[in-house]
Amino acid sequence: MLELIFAVLLIAAFATLFIKSGRIAAIISLIASAMPLIAVMDWANDFGIKAFSFGVENSMDFSIAGITMHLSITSFAWFFAVMVFSLLPPIFLFSYSFFEKNNGFFPFMLFLITAVFGILLASDFLTLFFFWELMAASSFILVYISRDKKAIMSYLAFSVLSAVLILVGIALLYSQSGTLIFSDIVLNADKVTVSAIILMVAGFAVKSALMPLHAWAPFVYSKADEPFVAFLSGGLSKVGYYGMFFMLFALPGAKILHQYFNSGVATYLLAVIGAISAFIGTLLAFMEDDLRKLLAYSSIAQLGYIAVGFGIGSSLAMAGALFQAFNHAFFKSVLFLAAGAVAYRTGKWKISELGGVGYKMPFTFMAALFAIFALAAIPITSGFAAKWLLYEAAVSNKYIFITPIMLIAGVGAFLYSFRILYGVFLGENRHDDIKEAPLPMIAGMFLLVLPLIIFLIFPGYMLDMMHSALVDAGIGTISHTNYVIRTGTASYNTLAVVIGMMVVMIPAFLIYVLRKQKKVDFKDNFLAGEPYEFYGYISMHAANNFYKPIEDVIMPYLRKGAISFYTALYNAMGRVSDASRKIYTGLSQDYTIYIIIFFFIIVGWLIW
Amino acid sequence: MVTPVLMIAIPLLAAFLMPLIKKAHRYFTFSILLLNAILSVLLFAKVYNDGAIYETIAGFSPPVGIYLAVDNLSALLALIINLFATINFVTSKKDFKFSMLYLLGVTGATGIVLTGDIFNMFVFFEITAVASYALVASKKDEKAVEGSIKYMILGSVGSSFMLIGIAIIYSQLKSLNLYDIAARISSMDPKMMWLSFSFLLTGIGVEAELFPLNGWVPDAYEGASSNIASFLSFGPSKASIYAIARLLIIFSMSRTYELALYVGIATLLIGEVAAFMQKNEKRMLAYSSIGQMGLILIAFSLIKDTSYAIPAAFFIIVSHASAKSSLFLISGKKGFGGITSKYVGLAGVLSLIGMPPMAGFWGKWYLLMGIADEKMWAVAAVIIFSAVIEAIYFARYLHKNLGEGESEDLGYSIPAAVMVSVSIVMGILPLIYNMAGGVLNA
Amino acid sequence: MVVEKIAVIALYTTIAMFVGILFMGVGRKIVARVHNRVGPPVYQGFIDIAKLLTKKTNISHGWIYDLALLFSMTGIMLTILFLPIGGVKLLSMEGDAFLVLYLLAIPALGFALGAGASGNPNAAIGVMRALVMMLSYELPFVITLIALMIYYDTSSIAQIVEMQHAKWAIMIPPFVLAAAVADMALQGMLMEAPFDIPTAPHEIASGPMAEFGGKHLGALMIYKAGTIVAYTTLFVDLFLGGGVVMHDGSVLAYLANFAVWFILIFLVFTLSLLINTSFPRFRIEQAFKFYWKYEALLAFISLIWVYLMVIS
Repeated sequence: MLELIFAVLLIAAFATLFIKSGRIAAIISLIASAMPLIAVMDWANDFGIKAFSFGVENSMDFSIAGITMHLSITSFAWFFAVMVFSLLPPIFLFSYSFFEKNNGFFPFMLFLITAVFGILLASDFLTLFFFWELMAASSFILVYISRDKKAIMSYLAFSVLSAVLILVGIALLYSQSGTLIFSDIVLNADKVTVSAIILMVAGFAVKSALMPLHAWAPFVYSKADEPFVAFLSGGLSKVGYYGMFFMLFALPGAKILHQYFNSGVATYLLAVIGAISAFIGTLLAFMEDDLRKLLAYSSIAQLGYIAVGFGIGSSLAMAGALFQAFNHAFFKSVLFLAAGAVAYRTGKWKISELGGVGYKMPFTFMAALFAIFALAAIPITSGFAAKWLLYEAAVSNKYIFITPIMLIAGVGAFLYSFRILYGVFLGENRHDDIKEAPLPMIAGMFLLVLPLIIFLIFPGYMLDMMHSALVDAGIGTISHTNYVIRTGTASYNTLAVVIGMMVVMIPAFLIYVLRKQKKVDFKDNFLAGEPYEFYGYISMHAANNFYKPIEDVIMPYLRKGAISFYTALYNAMGRVSDASRKIYTGLSQDYTIYIIIFFFIIVGWLIW
Repeated sequence: MVTPVLMIAIPLLAAFLMPLIKKAHRYFTFSILLLNAILSVLLFAKVYNDGAIYETIAGFSPPVGIYLAVDNLSALLALIINLFATINFVTSKKDFKFSMLYLLGVTGATGIVLTGDIFNMFVFFEITAVASYALVASKKDEKAVEGSIKYMILGSVGSSFMLIGIAIIYSQLKSLNLYDIAARISSMDPKMMWLSFSFLLTGIGVEAELFPLNGWVPDAYEGASSNIASFLSFGPSKASIYAIARLLIIFSMSRTYELALYVGIATLLIGEVAAFMQKNEKRMLAYSSIGQMGLILIAFSLIKDTSYAIPAAFFIIVSHASAKSSLFLISGKKGFGGITSKYVGLAGVLSLIGMPPMAGFWGKWYLLMGIADEKMWAVAAVIIFSAVIEAIYFARYLHKNLGEGESEDLGYSIPAAVMVSVSIVMGILPLIYNMAGGVLNA
Repeated sequence: MVVEKIAVIALYTTIAMFVGILFMGVGRKIVARVHNRVGPPVYQGFIDIAKLLTKKTNISHGWIYDLALLFSMTGIMLTILFLPIGGVKLLSMEGDAFLVLYLLAIPALGFALGAGASGNPNAAIGVMRALVMMLSYELPFVITLIALMIYYDTSSIAQIVEMQHAKWAIMIPPFVLAAAVADMALQGMLMEAPFDIPTAPHEIASGPMAEFGGKHLGALMIYKAGTIVAYTTLFVDLFLGGGVVMHDGSVLAYLANFAVWFILIFLVFTLSLLINTSFPRFRIEQAFKFYWKYEALLAFISLIWVYLMVIS
């Protein structure tokens, strides 16, 4: 079974390398990407409801002469696999219309999928790392296609950083325990193991764009092809969190850290970092004018919540974190795809240049609207259930710093959500000449919206899905029915919310049908009586510099951020580099003197 | 019947026959190289099956005669050098003198790897070095000559250091056989031993691009035509770093390993840091080569402590030889003008920064496994740092070559693609690990 | 059972709306008296809404614009359902304070959507201000909320109310500070001066409402009435024991609690109006700084205080 999936994916990848037409490549990729999804769905019987510990079935050993790779599926990998692989067929469906020509997106996307499949199935560190690097390499090529300097440089640098951190961590663990196979590893709370865990978590955090390792995300998200970015933000960041989940709970690193520090300080720090990511990411998001950068910062913020959950580590928090991961995978993919669809029709990215797209592209708008509601965690969407669990977890642990920061980041999400809605889809209508996005794009987006709707009323289904993952990782689950989640002190009943809403909607509807209304075009409204030419095109747009007043207050505090730190580091390194090249004077006599000095130094060092 | 001596004798003979075959010299040279490559495959197969070969050329005893010692790793290196030399030679468009020098260079490099006699090693060093000086200058412009002269000056200084080192050993032990020396090294006067080691390390280090003996590197690589820069990075430099490995094994003292580690770290750091902001592409690749040589030396310096050292060094050598040579080969043109050069550029860079499915991945894996085994935190930190630095300048290199460049020269980019594919093949078949285990038991 | 529940819900939302509309009229009267004017009659709100809802000309700007109406009314009434009113738990056992916080965002976001769809730049400015205000006042408010949650060890508002039976939160020292902070946040929530920045009638032509008219505006006025009840009730529930004075479950207790609740929210609302009439308007960045610097600091002090009380 597994061999077949790998074979199909790789064959499809090689086949699409040589196909010029984007359409045919998309169809091939679509079929190939359905393979792992089918397999994952097939495993649902094993993991859906009942507990299942370290997989013995569905495993295979993959001996590439000399080095054996162990692959098997575990319950938590399964949960992440459902999340990641469900994204792919819709994304490829979207790409069918998005790519006229195959620019390399399809083959490397398929390599990427192969790598992700390998990571999730890996049951020893060599396999994990091999596929992790394969993922880094193929995703780097996908970034490379974007041709943007900052994106290419930052992505490669951070990918390599993540890889070496993980590799050093693996090597340390191996030197301690003498085995690379997960199920054989026994950890002790000593210095080496603890530093290995911290290094590896940091390495995985790079892919999850956790602050301060997020600096690549704004550049990459804003420049690479949209379908890839949708997967990068939706899927790959979750693979990073899979790694963290694995390290902290399956291995279990969190317990070791707890033993070593004799308190939960290390995991608490992770939660704080997550909360700060959520907070600062949100602030940066609503001041951003580039739609894709806005979404990038929003990703950083939303992914921060998952880290908070992992850091708190209680069953409530973990359920929230995994739920949030699942939601984020879908709504952020939809949003990036919607951004792609808008750009496909208008060719614009700046919010200040867009506007009124929603009137011409109503279906794209609908999909985006729903995704935004989920993002902003409006209580009638599944997004709220996840955040609610996290808030409950934080407050029941009496985290007085994390909870308010998370909550205020949640409020901040409304601000940038509105910016997307108003600046891009509503407001001034500037695009009379565009059409709705092609059908495959819309179909792709709506397929991704579907799970959000299902888990809207039945968050219990989601908790069932993660049940065995949480039990296997020794976290434990929380009490719930299909539509009620209970914590020790409070409960959240989605059905009550939905029915209550239906009931109170009646008077609103009554008013709605009370009087006839006529539709009036609002062409003149946005000018508010001012002559159009007076201020120019951009500055007249109300979405331009939308949050200026608050930006003026906040920006001075955020100017010196991680990115400027890395830039300064880069420049300083450049100066060191220039200085170091002064050693190479270009004069043979200098070089000869170096040789002689070197000789005397080593003679001296060796003899004395 | 494959004997290692053929691999040295045939090209050497062919080189001197060259003036006689002026017309078809390119086909002739190519077929000789191909023959040599085939021989090296057979040799490797033999060594792999039957164990190491020790061969004395009948009738003469060292230092006059040739004593050869071939184990797994040297057979592999010989294979790599000859294989790449064959592929690289396809790009040659020069006259018969060039072909002759090229053959001599290959002979020398192969000889360094296969020889089991320290004086022979010196002779082969001289052969390959002299050939290389001339090859660098063969481009015949100002920069080429400048690079060649610098290379020559430093190379000569290095040779004399090496010769003194050999002389000290011979005066003490009256032997030039590497195995013999290794066995009796402890009977040497310690001061003399250290002195000879220092002379030898300094001498070979010039050729092996170790800091601070590598002043010639940027100029020579920049001046040389792209196929010669490519030759330099898989031929002489790899053979010399292997010679240093043998040197370390012969002396086999913890102090020498420690010294090698420090030199390796210094070379790695200087090379990577200098490459970081270098705008000239060939110089950048040259500095990067320096860094990689440092990495290989670090790997070799762990030989005594951990069994990961040899596979690590081997994979880094393969990765660097194939990737850097192919990058040099396509560096003649501005930008990646076509799909083949794009492939070469991406695959080469990914191999150098150690991503699968390239050989560099296994190099990085084994190296860090070895380092963690020894719990050398500082070294691990240095490697993390240099890996990130390397990633940044290679990303810039890739981006710079993205634009609308000149259309690619398939005559260069196809051989380069073949070379870089070797890295992929080696990455996919880490079979070699088993073969390379137990190498260098001498 | 369900039908009964729905009937109660309908009854309570209707009452809440009436109270809200009444308060709007009362508010105008009070403000007028402070200004030494006669002012409109207290039932002016009913007249206005009736007039607007029965207008013959209704202009719509598309379905998003209509959605505003639906969203704001639904959202605010839904919020009221999740708040205990005079100790009566409508749906408040089914959700908690976090849910209420987020439910309160539904009408705001819907309203913002509608304003955005109207295409008027003044509306956009108003919405921007409203959202920034939301970001501003939420920080101190959530901190005080968390202080309460930590103190009572629950996040359910219904349980917080129950636990205040013996002693209202405001009688506990740290919560005096917290209540003061929350009251200033309430000022922002109700968009009363000095935080009436989003509507700012003389400045940006009522902001978000600029393009609304007829039944749409009427619905928005109902929404406004709802917000008054929702926010004041939230305050009363959190700090003033929800107005529960008798808890024996008798009809008398029921009525008494209701009456106390009514009086309390009226007092809270009046206090807010008095502050409103005494201060000029902040600029938006001043308001932001006010909330995030001073208010948040005070709130955080109370939070730490409570935390130390709970820990020891």
